[in-house]
Amino acid sequence: MAKHALSGKSPATWGVVTVLLVIAIFGTLWVPIYARFAPKLGPFPFFYWYQLIWVPVSAVLCWICYLLLRSKPRNQGAVPR
Amino acid sequence: MSHINTVALAIVIGSFLIVTYIGFASARWRPAEDPMHLNEWGLGGRGFGTFVSWFLLGGDIYTAYTFIAVPALVYASGAAGFYALSYTIMVFPIVFIFGPRLWSVARARGYVSPGDFVRGRHGSQGLGLAVAATGILATMPYIALQLVGIEAVLTTMGIGSPSGSSFIRDLPLIIAFAVVAVYTYLAGLRAPALIAFVKDFLIYVTVIVAIIYIPSRLGGWGHIFSVSSAHLKTVNPATGKPYGSIVVMPAGEWAFATLALGSALALFVYPHAVTGVFAAKRRNVIRRNAAMLPAYSLVLGLIALFGYMARATPAVNAGVKAGGGNPQLSVPLLFEHMFPSWFAGIGYSAIIIGALVPAAVMSIAAANLFTRTIYKELISPNATPAQETRVARLASLLMKVGALGFAIELNKTFSINLQLLGGIWILQTFPAVVIGLYTRWFHRIALIIGWAVGMAYGSVEAYRTSGGGQAHFGASTTTVLGHVTYIALVALILNIAVSAVLTLVFRRIGLQDGYDETRPADYAADPATVPTASARARPPAVPSAR
Repeated sequence: MAKHALSGKSPATWGVVTVLLVIAIFGTLWVPIYARFAPKLGPFPFFYWYQLIWVPVSAVLCWICYLLLRSKPRNQGAVPR
Repeated sequence: MSHINTVALAIVIGSFLIVTYIGFASARWRPAEDPMHLNEWGLGGRGFGTFVSWFLLGGDIYTAYTFIAVPALVYASGAAGFYALSYTIMVFPIVFIFGPRLWSVARARGYVSPGDFVRGRHGSQGLGLAVAATGILATMPYIALQLVGIEAVLTTMGIGSPSGSSFIRDLPLIIAFAVVAVYTYLAGLRAPALIAFVKDFLIYVTVIVAIIYIPSRLGGWGHIFSVSSAHLKTVNPATGKPYGSIVVMPAGEWAFATLALGSALALFVYPHAVTGVFAAKRRNVIRRNAAMLPAYSLVLGLIALFGYMARATPAVNAGVKAGGGNPQLSVPLLFEHMFPSWFAGIGYSAIIIGALVPAAVMSIAAANLFTRTIYKELISPNATPAQETRVARLASLLMKVGALGFAIELNKTFSINLQLLGGIWILQTFPAVVIGLYTRWFHRIALIIGWAVGMAYGSVEAYRTSGGGQAHFGASTTTVLGHVTYIALVALILNIAVSAVLTLVFRRIGLQDGYDETRPADYAADPATVPTASARARPPAVPSAR
């Protein structure tokens, strides 16, 4: 796709990024994973501590994706190609 | 509730004055060479780095109403309210995916609003107009809800008790809003960007103190959960079913997931979120923020737990009952009963200032939509940047007056209903805006009809739901194929399906498609400087398509 050519990243990098972001989204989209009481963390049912822990997890996943896609700022303008 | 808490009131007035000073001073922050350009007033010069963007976006999308409504939902119905946490977790990977492309094309082409982009991408004035109108319509009640959040705090502080005359009751609200309107008029997006620093500082302080201090006073989390669980199990006489549950039940999972996903997708296309994205300096700022903004989600998750703390505080339950059973009062009451007056004042200030930041950004976002997509396209195509800026400033004032009218004249339930509709409506712009970032396969007229079908279905379906003591607009979900599902998402699927089928039909009969003024390179562009007039001056090949 044109996206790969323009960003200068390999399809493999885009593949890894896609998988990581899908994991980040499905972690809380798939409710049956965490709609349960046990195991409890202290007084917190699993439902709560899982979601709270998933916040930093998704942040780390996004950060890894950012590092993978990071490119040196280019001063390219709106001029096509 | 009958007496005025003077210490808390003094702190609230003090922080309001500080914020007002910052608001006016922000007009001179990073002064622009040409302040009378929409890039300056409407997007703060398109120059916010990672740090400022983090505060602006965080201050903008986590609204005061969220801080009141989410714990209120948890207070009333338990685990179901936590869809908001799930939704704010999901939204950042979504921003990570779509945000950079939208930023790049807007930067390369000088777009200041989603309506602008849609008009240019699909070569359709009508579709741009539909997106702009939807954005403005969905934003107005959202601003009004910020006022509802402020009202809940004022009521708890003993100001504006229902017995007083209505003008006196609303006076603090009117004054506060008038002041915000004036500095937003003068400083544009710079004002909420700077004030967001104060807002976020107050919110973080309040939440950290509350989450440590309140449970220790209430006998620990174990006690809080057991009291809440016991309450949720009792049967609600109005429905004959339990109030809720401490963990989402299998029957509620589908509703929970679709509400979270639908809200996350909708948030990305809300004009105020797009405005925050467009104001960033570089493409990487968006991705870095997608990884850093979840800090606010953590705060939201902790705030949601306030709902249980409130349930475990007998004085709050009594206060909510005295306030006509309004769970929106639960968080302000929790602050009142758990904190010393001065710290309750900090908490109230956090909510009130937390309402002013999004209200300002929302009115600017709506003003940008109006100016570029309605004023410049339909009324005055040859408007200069300075004229555009003047119109946008006036439009932001009108939006605020309109929202104030909403909040004061109409009853509160009406604002909440409209906000429910707003979420459904705004999601119907998703195909034109977000799918449009990737493909122009959809025909422009098919997209317009799909949008209209989604809007109509969503509105009718929302009207038909009952619940919470209301005959209409009682819930945001409906039953589809045996699953309780978020109406907005059903409407979106219908919207996309109609657009796809009609695209095939229109291609078949050879209906002319619009001219796309964007180029593939625009979607990956990362220009360091803001291309202003030159990017838009290129004449389209088909002038009539504009």
